[in-house]
Amino acid sequence: MTYFMFFLGVCFVLGGLAVASNPSPYYGVIGLVLGSVVGCGWLLSLGASFVSLVLFMVYLGGMLVVFVYSVSLAADPFPGAWGDWRVVGYGGGFLLVLVVGVTVGGPLECWELGAVTVDSGGVFSVRLDFSGVAMFYSYGVGMFLVAGWGLLLTLFVVLELVRGLSRGAIRAV
Amino acid sequence: MSFLHLSFYSAFTLSSLGLAFHRTHLVSALLCLESMMLAMYITLSVWPIENQAASFTLMPVLMLSFSACEAGTGLAMLVASTRTHGSDHLHNLNLLQC
Repeated sequence: MTYFMFFLGVCFVLGGLAVASNPSPYYGVIGLVLGSVVGCGWLLSLGASFVSLVLFMVYLGGMLVVFVYSVSLAADPFPGAWGDWRVVGYGGGFLLVLVVGVTVGGPLECWELGAVTVDSGGVFSVRLDFSGVAMFYSYGVGMFLVAGWGLLLTLFVVLELVRGLSRGAIRAV
Repeated sequence: MSFLHLSFYSAFTLSSLGLAFHRTHLVSALLCLESMMLAMYITLSVWPIENQAASFTLMPVLMLSFSACEAGTGLAMLVASTRTHGSDHLHNLNLLQC
């Protein structure tokens, strides 16, 4: 199980690398889907099933779908491919980041996992993340309403942004 | 640094490097921004699990809702740029060029 979590952690970083070094936005979206699926599996293996499924539904099923449509609007009709000098450059940057992280943190401690699951802290009748997010309705109701108001406001922001200079006339695309 | 923290740190830093060194398309920069948000979400989710404090589980869900707002606004700007210039290439955004 520990090796599975190591593998998921490595795949998460590879997803980030794929997004950063993409030759075309199509491959960036692939890297983002990989990163979010692997991150979701990582949270599941720690036992936090609620936040993991929130990530799946809202991020992957909501935001990434909209991103995929926008990439199909805006990207080239004949994309490039991997195997370019850019991926090598980003791979070098990644190694630098990794070396700095291991040097700062100590090369012996980076092989511990550093987290426990949600079940190991005592007797819980309700899981940790379920009971935490349920506080949105009791103590966190102010931020809940602010977040809802912000989301409603974003609809109007998007409406005004895509209206355009000529007050909504149909243009080239 | 434990392995989890190293993994989040690497993914976040790589995505921010990708945002800083964006090349041709605006949507690639927006994808790097989304990847930074993903790394932050997972970091904020693992933190209450490590400290066994349930109430901090609010934070990643709240962050996700605000990042959805930000992604929508970024994509609206992408669509506006594509409708004005015909593509989302970054060299089209050159009004401030001297």
